[in-house]
Amino acid sequence: MFKFWKWARSASLALALGFATAAIVINEAEAETLFRLGVPEDALTLDPIASSDNPSIWAELLIYDTLIRPATNGVDLEPGLAEKWTVAPDGKEYVFTLRDAKFADGTSVTADDVIYSLKRAAGEKSDWARFFKPITNYEAVDQHTIKMTLDTPFTPLLNNLALFSGSILPKSSESDAEFFSHPIGSGPFVLKEWRKGDRIVLAKNPHYWQQGKPAVDMAEIQVISEDNSRILKLQAGELDAIINIPFNQLKQLQSAAGIKTAAADVFRVEFVQLNTKKKPFDDQKVRQALNHAVDKQGIVDSVLFGNAVPAASSIPIMRYHNTELKPYAYDPEKAKALLAEAGHAEGFSTTMLLPAGDDKLRNAGAVIQDNLQKIGVKVELQSLEGGAQWDTTKAGNYEMSLSYATSDTIDPDQLVGFTVVNPERANAYHTEWKDDRVNELYEAERKTLDGPEREAQFKEIEARVNEGAPYIFLYHQKAAYAWRDNVEGFAVLPTSNYRLEDVTMK
Amino acid sequence: MYLLRFTILRLIQMLPVLIGITLCVFLLLRVMPGDPATLILGRRGTAEDIARLSAQLGLDRPIWQQYLLFLWDIAKGSLGQSIAYRAPVGPLILERLPATLLLVAYSTVLTVLMTVPVAIFVAMRKDGPADLLVKALFVVLMSLPPFWLGILLILFFSIELHWFPVSGYGSNIIENLWYLFLPALVIALATSALTIRSLRSSIIAVATADYVDTARAKGLRPGTVMRRHILRNSLVSTISVLAVHTSWIIGGTVVVESVFAVPGLGYLLVSSIFTRDYPMVQGLTVTFAMLVVLISLLTDIAYALIDPRVRYD
Repeated sequence: MFKFWKWARSASLALALGFATAAIVINEAEAETLFRLGVPEDALTLDPIASSDNPSIWAELLIYDTLIRPATNGVDLEPGLAEKWTVAPDGKEYVFTLRDAKFADGTSVTADDVIYSLKRAAGEKSDWARFFKPITNYEAVDQHTIKMTLDTPFTPLLNNLALFSGSILPKSSESDAEFFSHPIGSGPFVLKEWRKGDRIVLAKNPHYWQQGKPAVDMAEIQVISEDNSRILKLQAGELDAIINIPFNQLKQLQSAAGIKTAAADVFRVEFVQLNTKKKPFDDQKVRQALNHAVDKQGIVDSVLFGNAVPAASSIPIMRYHNTELKPYAYDPEKAKALLAEAGHAEGFSTTMLLPAGDDKLRNAGAVIQDNLQKIGVKVELQSLEGGAQWDTTKAGNYEMSLSYATSDTIDPDQLVGFTVVNPERANAYHTEWKDDRVNELYEAERKTLDGPEREAQFKEIEARVNEGAPYIFLYHQKAAYAWRDNVEGFAVLPTSNYRLEDVTMK
Repeated sequence: MYLLRFTILRLIQMLPVLIGITLCVFLLLRVMPGDPATLILGRRGTAEDIARLSAQLGLDRPIWQQYLLFLWDIAKGSLGQSIAYRAPVGPLILERLPATLLLVAYSTVLTVLMTVPVAIFVAMRKDGPADLLVKALFVVLMSLPPFWLGILLILFFSIELHWFPVSGYGSNIIENLWYLFLPALVIALATSALTIRSLRSSIIAVATADYVDTARAKGLRPGTVMRRHILRNSLVSTISVLAVHTSWIIGGTVVVESVFAVPGLGYLLVSSIFTRDYPMVQGLTVTFAMLVVLISLLTDIAYALIDPRVRYD
């Protein structure tokens, strides 16, 4: 017996010594400036035309450049690889002038690379072909000038070119089947190593066209799926910044020494889809009554700890937002009156689908259930896994469904098409709501050059959506993130991604 | 020699089990609502985009054809192409297999290291205060959700004492062992609760056997009696408990892997289910099934090695 304890003691001592040595070795390796970001999910692929998940998209935006890109304010487009561009007054000709930029391997970015990449993005294998197909002809005027022609004007094109799927790859990658395991772009970083499920290691692109950027030599995007672990890792100094912080932990983190937090306004909207094909949701008055019955500010305060703003429509607060619209006021009396006018003075019973596993939406669902109870509407909650919820609403087998939408672009066109135009892509996100004027305005908006006229079209769309109420409009949820105070310049942008080239470390 | 023959026989017996498992997983996945192409493109794609992607992924074929293609892939030694990663499933699994295997092995070693001394210690103090205390302690440890126990250990060992990193995996074997210590400990603590009870009872039962009295009467030292006569005879039942539990751990590392950000198979499985990555889920299930069968094989071999009377004829 005694022998065993002696053995155990020496074994644990050896173990401890081993770990201590390992720790020293690890610390010595950190000589360059390294920025470590903790994220909840790993990327799936670095092929921009085969990506639809945010982690992949955000990693691609650090490795590749697009011709133009959304500015950090989320309102304007700014030059990317193209230093300038012109759009013909008839909206059928776009000319881009490339800057003197190089790919990370030192070769210059030319018009041929751009044409190759965009044709690929509009091609057979692309999930995003629809975004680029309106371009019917490409012409390399010279090494640095590309002329694109369209058969019919298509105003969202500029925004589509600013999307990840419009990333510019070297034409030489065409023959390399393994290109996306060691991709080369002209973006601020180059992929050094991708340990799947663990981290993406990025090194500074020495040829990046923005002088002095990135300021850090290396950036690591570490995958820590568990929220608590990610927070603890930041507190222990093993990470320099993290995203996706649960709101209930934000306050506590705010007061932690050496840590700063923020909640970014991102292009996102939460709502309850109403199946307007089913009674009583086919009646606009009923839908408006439901909107009046839900205490949006109450949900924002109690469930989201104030990290959201009530919504007036299914379009995020972004360019061309109709600022005159106000969210439906919380007014149970008015709701009851509207229900009575619609012939439902006694209320009715219904069910609402909820996405399983999203605790914020689940809690919001409970509040909505309680709110609606007060006007006589009995709601049974039914939790469904995300894929199943989509299938159920798509098939029209639902009455109410709690969901959300996010926008990849800074142009409202994408979410207008998705949430309120019928049929377009998803029959107004499965609400089956159909407003001919909205459809008409959508057609017109896509052919109108950016300016006051297009702005008026979007504002009218949003006003009609607000009145027609195919959803219970809830709120625009923010994105909480945190960083250690030796980090500067880390921010989550309105498009939810981040520019690590702007990060500096003290 | 007979052990070798036994091993080969067992490996052959694995085949129908594996085919059965592939069929079950394949059908279960298809019964689940939600299809991969819609999940990939849903919010942004048109109906045509979704149909095109489905065709590209081979999901427009009849189900029986898809299943035969899957079996054909396995026969060729491939597990197909992941839908989410757009890359072959095999290498993606192999990339993550070491982390899970190391975690399972590490926690098993820690379990044994904890079980043997503690079980001997409490068995010799049967029903004394120490025995009751250990019993109570491990029942509590076993009942704690691994998720919560993990966070507690991180708070204490990583945040307070700075002995271990909060989470991660490391890039070489020394770092691996250092990073995986806490996750392995979480699993080992829960497992030990069972194995300690099992070994303790066996020791108490064996300790009263006549041959143990004989050994003592021969004048052997107590340590030798314990090692050669009591422990060896007590281990068989504990090995079965450990083996069953290890099989369970292989599929159940999900929670621990996600708390400690270990890039293993468990988390991959869960995320693949959410994205309806059929080939990946199928590939992972086949991998898990093979591991479980292998462990039960290893267990049987271990029996034979520990107890020469055990023969598989």
